Parts: sequence; C-alpha cells; structure tokens
Amino acid sequence: MEEGAKGTVTSLASMFPADEAQKAAKRVQDTIAEKHQELDRVKGFIADNASLVNLVQKLPEELHHDIMVPFGKVAFFPGRLVHTNEFMVLLGEGYYAERTSKQTVEILRRRGKALETHVDSLKSMIEDLETEALFFDRTASDAAEGLVEIREELSGEESDEGASESGRKEDAHSVSVKDKGKVLNEDEEYARLMSKLEELEKEELAAEAADNIEEETNEVDPDVVSEQSSFNQNLKDWEGSHSCKPPSHSEEGQASDEEFLSRKRQQPALLEKSNPNDPTITSSHKDKTSHGKEPSKNLRDPNVADKSLKLPALEGNDHAGSSNNEVSIQPSKPKFDSLRAFTGSIIERSPNLPINPGETSSTSSQVPSSQSSKPQSRFRMQRR
Amino acid sequence: MDNYRQDKLHKFEEFVDRRLKPDLVHAISERDKVFEQQKTFSDLRKHIENLQKNSVTSLKTLVNLGSEVYMQAEVPDTQRICVDVGLGFHVEFSWSEALNYILLKEEKLARQIEEYTHQIASIKAQIKMVCEGIRELLQLPAELTLQEPIL
Repeated sequence: MEEGAKGTVTSLASMFPADEAQKAAKRVQDTIAEKHQELDRVKGFIADNASLVNLVQKLPEELHHDIMVPFGKVAFFPGRLVHTNEFMVLLGEGYYAERTSKQTVEILRRRGKALETHVDSLKSMIEDLETEALFFDRTASDAAEGLVEIREELSGEESDEGASESGRKEDAHSVSVKDKGKVLNEDEEYARLMSKLEELEKEELAAEAADNIEEETNEVDPDVVSEQSSFNQNLKDWEGSHSCKPPSHSEEGQASDEEFLSRKRQQPALLEKSNPNDPTITSSHKDKTSHGKEPSKNLRDPNVADKSLKLPALEGNDHAGSSNNEVSIQPSKPKFDSLRAFTGSIIERSPNLPINPGETSSTSSQVPSSQSSKPQSRFRMQRR
Repeated sequence: MDNYRQDKLHKFEEFVDRRLKPDLVHAISERDKVFEQQKTFSDLRKHIENLQKNSVTSLKTLVNLGSEVYMQAEVPDTQRICVDVGLGFHVEFSWSEALNYILLKEEKLARQIEEYTHQIASIKAQIKMVCEGIRELLQLPAELTLQEPIL
C-alpha cells in the first residue's frame, strides 16, 4: 500500500489475495452444493407427499387391497389392507390421530405447503450464494490481474469538505461493496449517484462564488473603463486643443512635442504657464517608473512641486478648450485606438493630465501609469 | 537432509489423513451396517419364534404407507413368509425354513463383522505405526540439535 498526499493506491491483490479469494469462492461453492442437496431432498419429500396424497385418495375406493404386509424389515407376509378409510396419522411427538381419507389428504396438503415454502427459501439462499460466489470469483480474477483501487480525498480547502469527503468515501466503499453482492447493487448505485450529484452541486456553488468575485471585479472595471474613456475624452480634448487636425496629428504632435520639450528645457519657467497639457510635467511626478529612464526628466524634477500646484488652475483652461473639440472628435472614436497606437506620446500624457484632479488618485494613477509608461518610453526612444 | 525429512513427514501425514483415516471410517460404517442387518435378522428370528410359540395363524397389523401414515392390514395366513435374500429377491419360506435361513444368514453376518473388525484393527495399527514413524522422524532432529552444540 502506498500512501500519497492526495490519495491511496491499493492493489486489490494485497487486500484480497487471489488464492484467498479463490478459497472463499470454493467454500461458497461447497455451501451451494450442500444447499442443492438439501433442495433435492426436500423436493423428494414433496414428490413423496404428492404420491402419498394420491394413494390416500385412491385407497378408499376399494374395500380391501392385496399387499405384501411387511414383517420386520426383511420379511413379508402376503396379506391385504382392510378398513381402507381409516388412517393413523402421526401428528408429531408420538401422537397419532385416526383420520379418514379426506382429512388425511388435508393434513398432507398442509405439509406439502410447508415443504414448498422451504423449497422457496432454499432457492433464494442458493441464489444469494451464487452471486456471492460470482463476486469472489471476480475478485480473485481481478486480484490476479493486478487491479488497483485508488482512493482520493477531496482537497481540504472547501467548506463542504467533510460532506463531499464522506460522499467520496461512500463512493469508494460502494465500489467495493458493489462487487460483494448485486443484492445491494441498486441501493449502492443510488447512494453513489446522490453523492455524485451533491458533489456536482457543490462544484456549481463554488463556481458561482468565484463568478461573483469576478463580477465584483467586473463591477469595478466599468469605473476603470469610464475613467479610461474619460481619459480618452481628455485625450481628445487635449488633442483638439493641441492640434485641430487629428489625422495628421501624429507627426504634428511629435514635432510640437519635440519643439515644446526643447523649449521647456531652455525655459522651464515659461513651460509652467503655457503648457498645462505637457505630459512630462505630470508624468514626472506621477509616473516615477519612467523617470529612471529619463535623465532629462530628472533634471526637471525640481520644478515638479511648483507645476503640480499650478495644475488645478490650468484645468479650467483645458476644459474650456476641450469642450469645443469634443463633439467633433467623438464620431471618430475608432481612430483613437490607432491614434493611441501610433502616438504613444498622446496617451501617455492624457492620463497624467491635471484635468481630472477630483478623480480617485488610486485608479487614475494606476491605470494611466501602466498605459502611459510604455508609449512614453517608445516616444522618447523615437525622440532620442 | 532436512528437506528430505520434511518431505517424508509430509508424505506420512498425508498417508494417514488421506488414506488410512477414510479407510477406517469406511470400514466402521460398513461394520455398523452389518450390525444393523444382524439385528434385523435376529429380530425376525425372535418374531418367528414368538409366532411359532403362540401358534398364530392370522394377524392384524398397521402398515406404514409413508410419511408415518398407517393403515390397518390383516394377514389371513401366517404359515408362508417371504424373506429378503438380497439383491431384491424374496424367497417364500415356511417358518422352519425361514429360521434355518436366518441362522445361516446370522452366521455369515457374524463372519462379516469379524472381518470388518479385523480390518478396522489393522487400519488402526497402521495408523499407529505411521504415527510412530512420524514421532521418530521428529525425535531424530531433536537429538541432532542437541548434539550439534556439543560438537
């Protein structure tokens, strides 16, 4: 027997050695033979009884019958039966009753019925024994073939562990019991089915619980999505304000960015006022991952505090600008993906825009940062 | 050597269990059957002698029809009696003839009983002998194991 963490594998041969099973089968066969003998004997009694009933019915038809009267066991006298309607019937315990032919027949019929019930019980016993023998034979052959029994327990995480485990155990148990006798087969099968159903139900419940969790997360997602869309919106706004020709935006944007950045480097002070939409400003303080890659930004870090302070003030400015362009750009929403794709710079900036300072910082900082960090670096790579 | 002895022991035991004991049981049961026959014949002899003594010419009796159901029967003439002589043959005797036959039969049965008794005795003797042989076989290794430590 091997003990595993998950379950046990037991070879049937170790539990029921083939020769032992065969011995058991042989013993059952012997019992069956015995029962068959008894059955034959009882059947003989029944036949005797029937013939006796016949005889008792016939004897009174004549006044006397010539017979050989037994005298001891080995001797006979030639004689005849007289008083043919008088029978002495043994009632048991040495008591005899004198009965007529009819009454005797009634007694004999009753005895016959008792014998028949005995035969029925013997037959059912033999049937039981035969199924038992069949099981032993099968077990013996299975053991000889090297069949193994695998028992596996459910993992302990589930709350319904106990119940399902017991179901499992019952399951395994039923498998072995099933072999033992087909008499119990149906009950066992039913129990097995029920336990299986229970298991399935539990699985379903577990799956539902998992779904709920997912749904909760999904419920959160819409916010994120809306935020994203708002970002997109902002992006559009910004684009609109930044450049009035979206199709040619990429080049222009890049060019302008570059111009803008170079300008910034030269005149940090000027940048604060004129470019509230510049990603570099906000990204410098929000997206620190990109900072490491951007030594140029690090240079500008000292200004960050000032800039961030001024951003809210700039927001209104931006909104005013964006509202104009919003309508015109919205129909071309599909473009945004492409826009986002090729103008990484735009996306990277949009989330960092100070436009939505009221937003919960956690979501706004999380989502854009992941989105922006990559395009930004790409943009920068393009730039440098 | 040890294996040889084991085999021998096994053979002896098997001989006792498989051959001698069933033979003994069989002989005893045969002898019992003969005893029974002897008894029935001696009973018959007594009955006939009784009939002779009382000079019974007719008698009434109950005949077992089977399953302990009896019916009255009468024998009008008791002079003639049919006796089973074996193999399903019945011979009609007069009383004296019957008594002669029974005498001979009893003698024969007595001989048979003696025979069976002898047979049973011999089987018992064989069993005893084989058991003695087994005992000897078991004793020898005991002696050897006693000697070995000394050597």
